[in-house]
Amino acid sequence: MMSVIRSNHVNVKERPVATLDKKQANSEGPKDPWSRLLEKVGKHQDREAFHALFEHFGPQIKYFAMANGLSSHAEELVQEVFVSIWRRSCLYDWRKAAASTWIFTIARNQRIDMLRKMQRTSAEMNVETEDLWQVPGDNEDEPVTSLHRLMSERRIRESLGQLSEEQTTVIAKVYMENKSHQRVADELNIPLGTVKSRVRLALNKLKVILQDQNA
Amino acid sequence: MTRHHPDNLSLLEYSAGNLSEPHALCIRLHLDKCSHCRSRVDSLEALGAVIMDHQPKVSLSEDMFDSILAKIDEGVEPAPQPSRESVLHKLLGADINDLPWKRQLGDVSVLDITDKFPGQSEQVVLQKLAAGGKAPAHTHRGEETTIVLQGAFADQKGVFNQWDFVVLNDQDDHKPVAVGCEDCITLSILSAPVKLTGRFTRLLNPFIR
Repeated sequence: MMSVIRSNHVNVKERPVATLDKKQANSEGPKDPWSRLLEKVGKHQDREAFHALFEHFGPQIKYFAMANGLSSHAEELVQEVFVSIWRRSCLYDWRKAAASTWIFTIARNQRIDMLRKMQRTSAEMNVETEDLWQVPGDNEDEPVTSLHRLMSERRIRESLGQLSEEQTTVIAKVYMENKSHQRVADELNIPLGTVKSRVRLALNKLKVILQDQNA
Repeated sequence: MTRHHPDNLSLLEYSAGNLSEPHALCIRLHLDKCSHCRSRVDSLEALGAVIMDHQPKVSLSEDMFDSILAKIDEGVEPAPQPSRESVLHKLLGADINDLPWKRQLGDVSVLDITDKFPGQSEQVVLQKLAAGGKAPAHTHRGEETTIVLQGAFADQKGVFNQWDFVVLNDQDDHKPVAVGCEDCITLSILSAPVKLTGRFTRLLNPFIR
């Protein structure tokens, strides 16, 4: 599995982002192997492809559950996530998100859902987890948008190593441990302003919020 | 202070799934109409995926994949279709113009909808400023997140249209006016977990506090 990821990285370096034109992005299909596998699951209910995704993402999601304080329900969460991946795979569109991103959002939503069910009182909210947390999809099939997404995912992956340890710690706590900036500040015993500035610096370094998006 | 769009840090917390339900609702309503912010959230979700990939991995039980397959084989639940009903309508069970609004003073009406979000401490209120109406000058206590659901209002800092996102704090002193020909309806989350009743209820109204 790891060799697949490495070869993908090499690929990215060999082909500078600037030369990846719209036509290529559209005609060559999904670029990374996970997105390709997820497409196979969606289109052909391919169980081998599904197993490969499980082997790669299952252990990540189990860690995610444990980091979120769901240790005793970690495998239950992994199971829920994969059942959901299977059922939704027909909706997956590689042009809208890389498989890793798509799977991350399912894991996040299932985690929110599980915590919600655990805390459920007699009173219930009449909207579903998805209503609040699922980003509405773009209706347009704009190649620019797709290309933009592919590039930003690569850029983030490539530049993660540029973050300081402090910045990585803060970002990881926010994403993996379900902790607000305030709680991260309390835990690390540093001012809230420091947490926020670390996050801002990290986002700048990662170029998560691309300059050209404002144009 | 944030005006028109949520800031990066709020979107980051949203993409990580860490916001309270009322705050998530405000962001979600904004995202529905703002492709710029949608694209920012897409990138931030990609960041979440990359972070998850860089964490330790924990091995799974050997029979787990088989039990997932078993679950898939027994279930006939189809892939969920995205709902056409707006989140807001689903939450409130009615159109925002048909709610049991409580007239407060002059042009201002309010409706407390905190009970739609059980088990959390923030106060959530809908406010209506009648078309062309003025709210008295006021400042804000604590932090207040607002999204414009209908119409528009203007204050010294600018005009806020439908689906604009505004975060105000005690530094912001303003005197909003509903502009355009529609009543201006906003949804606000008040950070201070206070519960006031009787003659103090109107203090909760960001338009007139």
